[in-house]
Amino acid sequence: MKTRQLFFLLALTGLIMAPALAKGSDLLIKNGKILTVTRGVLDRGDVLIRNGIIQAVGTDLQAPPGIRTYDASGKYVMPGIIDSHTHIALSGTNESADTDTAEVDMADVLNAEDLSIFTALSGGATTACTMHGSANPIGGQNVVLKLKWGRPSQDMVVSEAFRTLKFALGENPKRANRSDADEARYPQSRMGVKALIRRELLRARAYMEQWDRYLAQKQSKNPAVLLPPRKDLRLEALADLLRGKLLARVHTYRADETLEFLGLAREFGFKVACFEHIPEAFKITPELKEAGVGTSVFIDSWAYKIEAAEGIALSAAYCTRQGILVSLNSDGGEGIRRLFNEAGKTLRYGRLTEEEALRLITINPAIQLGVDKIVGSLEAGKHGDLAVFNEHPLSAYARCDLTVIEGEVYFDRAAYLQEREEAAKRAKAPKQTGGAR
Amino acid sequence: MKQTAMLFLCLVFLFWTAPAQAADVGPAYAVVNCKVVPVSGPVLEKGTIVIRDGLIEAVGPADKISVPEDAEVIDGQGLTAYPGLLDAHSQVFLEPAREEPSGLGRGGPPQPQPAAPQGFTPELQAFKLLKPTKAERAGLHRLGFTTVLVAPAKGIFAGQSVLLNLNGDKTEAMVVRQPVALHINFATERGVYPSSLMGTMAALRQSFLDAQDYARHQEAWQASPRRFKRPEYSPFLESLLPYVVGKRLVIFTCANQEDIRRAISLAEEFKLNVLLSGANEAWRVVEAVKKARLPLLISLSFKPPLTSLYANQGEEVKKKAEDEIYPANPAALCKAGLSFALTSYGLTKVDDVLKNTQAAIKAGLPREEALKALTIHPARFLGVEAMLGSLEAGKMANIILTSGEIFEEKTQVKKIFVDGQMFTPEKAPPAGAGPAAVSLTGSWQGKIVSPMGEVDISLELDQQGSQVTGTATVMGNKRDIGEGNLSGNALAFTIQTEIMGQAMSFSFQGTVDKDVIQGSMATPMGSADVRLSKVPQD
Repeated sequence: MKTRQLFFLLALTGLIMAPALAKGSDLLIKNGKILTVTRGVLDRGDVLIRNGIIQAVGTDLQAPPGIRTYDASGKYVMPGIIDSHTHIALSGTNESADTDTAEVDMADVLNAEDLSIFTALSGGATTACTMHGSANPIGGQNVVLKLKWGRPSQDMVVSEAFRTLKFALGENPKRANRSDADEARYPQSRMGVKALIRRELLRARAYMEQWDRYLAQKQSKNPAVLLPPRKDLRLEALADLLRGKLLARVHTYRADETLEFLGLAREFGFKVACFEHIPEAFKITPELKEAGVGTSVFIDSWAYKIEAAEGIALSAAYCTRQGILVSLNSDGGEGIRRLFNEAGKTLRYGRLTEEEALRLITINPAIQLGVDKIVGSLEAGKHGDLAVFNEHPLSAYARCDLTVIEGEVYFDRAAYLQEREEAAKRAKAPKQTGGAR
Repeated sequence: MKQTAMLFLCLVFLFWTAPAQAADVGPAYAVVNCKVVPVSGPVLEKGTIVIRDGLIEAVGPADKISVPEDAEVIDGQGLTAYPGLLDAHSQVFLEPAREEPSGLGRGGPPQPQPAAPQGFTPELQAFKLLKPTKAERAGLHRLGFTTVLVAPAKGIFAGQSVLLNLNGDKTEAMVVRQPVALHINFATERGVYPSSLMGTMAALRQSFLDAQDYARHQEAWQASPRRFKRPEYSPFLESLLPYVVGKRLVIFTCANQEDIRRAISLAEEFKLNVLLSGANEAWRVVEAVKKARLPLLISLSFKPPLTSLYANQGEEVKKKAEDEIYPANPAALCKAGLSFALTSYGLTKVDDVLKNTQAAIKAGLPREEALKALTIHPARFLGVEAMLGSLEAGKMANIILTSGEIFEEKTQVKKIFVDGQMFTPEKAPPAGAGPAAVSLTGSWQGKIVSPMGEVDISLELDQQGSQVTGTATVMGNKRDIGEGNLSGNALAFTIQTEIMGQAMSFSFQGTVDKDVIQGSMATPMGSADVRLSKVPQD
């Protein structure tokens, strides 16, 4: 309890001392082992960030005077870690009172004061896609954030990212594992889930056609006096999916229903950004490859429910070698600070190369989220988002020492520990004088 | 021709002999020899205010204003005159919360989205819920309030507010403007859509879009009934029209910094005429607030909201934040060049208005700004600046005479004029004395009906005047109740408890009617209804 309190006091300090700059900053990281992910490894190199953008990655870079310099001698510098699927920084995860809630948007319910943002930074994470839950077959729209702790939530939103919509198949949307599901809710079966999604897509198609007719008539040479159709935000989101403006992210476990969803995507002509969790991905790699759809997975977590029974630890590595774009995810506020450990497991389970393993938590999720042009690797022109580790980040002994977003230091372990010590002293002081309890 | 001339003569005759006003002319008063703080102009060290027929007839330096013969003279020696205070977001005089519609079953295939989601009651008029009590009015008079904006409290579209002058018991006579604004809370419904904040946001957007759509269709149909199909009548959308299409005032209650962001984005997206209320975290998003240029009705409640880190680190940090950090909100806004109103919204005890204004002043809010925030600023924001908010000839005679500087602790309101009627505030009944309307002392049993189900609750209460102490037992856990207060028949208290290592506070607000306590409990998980009956003693 005592450490917990200390920790909270600390976090409080962190909040107050958070950077106030709205624009990117300047920073030079010197003499580290640079893991660029896409451009190989520099054994002893520098990363220069100007106005939040990486200006150069190389050796013996000269910083203009006055620029903050961080000595990374003996340390490892990697791109900021990207979590492709989490549920942090939110006030609420599901709108579960209906089975199709495509109209809800996680960007509306951000909570900049979720402590998970801070703890994620302590594990080198800089970007995360925070998503609607899996309570209903068609959930809500997801949002990609830079984890700028201490800044207003709207400053965290990454507008360059794909717009995506959450779908969920299997046990969660049919509420198989809810002991408190007092009232039956349609759908109660996998066939019901699929039928419901199909029904909603048909409604959306009719809605889209209604709007198309209206717009065509309005733009015709002799436009009739017309009133626009009612704008329905739920159908509007699904229509955007059919228009290709929105991509599907699909919570799925079993191979068979994953294939059925791919069938729906073909039938309606929409795109799937990636499949979530999908422990049975290794069973359907040819189909996934043909469809060009990647996966966002855990490494060695399975069998926590019936539909997760057939997961294997080799799946991520196997799928990677089969040419599928794989990313790792935390699914919440805890795993997000250990994604480098999760990636490290693929060296053991499936013998991925170090670079392949690092890709799972950097450039691969960046591609899936549509932000690979700005983040995911250490390259000139990309955002200055990086993490400095004391050891190789895939080592079991690795510890993140510094986390930087757009040239701004958002987590500095040394400074944090010093703050903690001071906070402990402050917390102790009133006790000795018999003050507040 | 002759007839016309006769008629004209008759009319002239009538005009001359008829009294200029209806028979019940209000009394005339002249307050003399007092210090006058008009708010809208420089302070007069020795001034005179003439009051007639509910209005300020004249105000100025003593040597410039003559006292009319028919006026009752009030000697203001040693007193200071201020405009009556205006509370721009209050929940006084409201009947116990209306019955919530019971949750709809969720069996069967889902229906298409209804036009009006569950619990959306924009048509609800605070005016129709008013049940003014003398005790509540006296409490407000003691603090110097002459005008309050009363808003319905519950729901997402909570309903419409009414502006009242505190001039008596008759609600119709109290009304200054009705309705004033549509009130929206970032709340959720239970079990039915929208059951989450994200659903609420989507449902708000859909409602605004539907109102715009409805207006378009109505207009088109009315212009060409032979061309368009008649749109289906919607009482829900009808009640939104004046606010969404007609751009009347919409007041969003913002519990935290994220709510402020939400309200600003909705205001911009739908071009609504928005006031931000609550907003005790406005200082944390001051740049966004400044940019949005929306008037602020800032709550004088300094409790950190549930989303705040300050609220989630144990009682010590929370208390410190409440005492030291949040009171600086008004000062920070002032420093940023923003003008705002201060309101009692969110306070469990109305007396805290004075205490918390003092805290805001101590935290750096200039006194004159505090005064404006309770007079001219809210009057301007609510569109009644021409009649309220300062001491000027022609404005409503809402005036307070105090024994000293208004925000000083020892200062008392000696006389109060509302619509030209004079009241002498009674002293607050000392704790432990005074006739209590109801007796709470004893055992009470009942239920908390929450979204998660029903839970038994029992209370052991001890009432001394307005002070209420005792214990609450929920699911076998006994806890002391805190901040217990009975005012009239309005009961408020909090229960502090710990859930999974987190300190949490549940605050109850409701009413007592003989042997029944009824109201709602605000919990970190949402609001729950509470009903208790007194256990008869042998």
